[in-house]
Amino acid sequence: MLDIRVGEKGEIVLSGRFDASQAVKAETFMAALTESRNVDVSDLQYVSSAGLGVLLATQKRLMATGHALKLVNVRGHVREVLHYSGFDQIFEIEAAPPAS
Amino acid sequence: MAESLEQAAQQSFPRTAACLPEIFDFMDRFFAHAGVGDEHRMPMQFVVEEWFTNLVKYSRGGTRDILLDLKRQDGRLVLSLTDFGVERFDIREVRDVDVNLDLKHRTPGGLGIHLLKRMVDDIGYEYVDGRSTTTFVKKLE
Repeated sequence: MLDIRVGEKGEIVLSGRFDASQAVKAETFMAALTESRNVDVSDLQYVSSAGLGVLLATQKRLMATGHALKLVNVRGHVREVLHYSGFDQIFEIEAAPPAS
Repeated sequence: MAESLEQAAQQSFPRTAACLPEIFDFMDRFFAHAGVGDEHRMPMQFVVEEWFTNLVKYSRGGTRDILLDLKRQDGRLVLSLTDFGVERFDIREVRDVDVNLDLKHRTPGGLGIHLLKRMVDDIGYEYVDGRSTTTFVKKLE
């Protein structure tokens, strides 16, 4: 299950699993965005191509008006998927700090 | 010597993305039972989700449930998805997407197959009388 909400600093917080069964829910949320936002994925355990598709469509729409999503606290499986997708070339991506 | 013994499980799932949580739960239970390490959990669930949703969307003629077969055998994890009553659909013939395109030219289509091919060590395909089976192999050591 994917949880998606606005954090204390206005960032989008994604947590849980962003799979094809959750894509419509995420699309609905992202459709309301009109300005640049950070997307905190520190608690996102899993993302599939369905989740990547929602992020890509949102990035395209925002960049058409000079805005963009920035993915922050990227780690683990999500980091690997973003890298192999070439998303590090179309999103600004900030890795999670090393675990202490 | 447990490694030389085959551990296997199979279950059929309806052709809808809504059953993905059920598929992941089935895989989690098998991985725990078969002693498959956590490092393989997300990548292998990714592989199954991507191919399962492709079958749901693109398999021509498919109406029956899709069979997921999981095996741990000889230091390898073997995942198979079988679709019944469908036309031939060989994942190995699907062309890779170009992940180096700029944003303007990028589309989500094909990305899942591109990614899953990088998460497994081998892919097999068998088609007999409308029974289409794709097998993914991951070395565990």
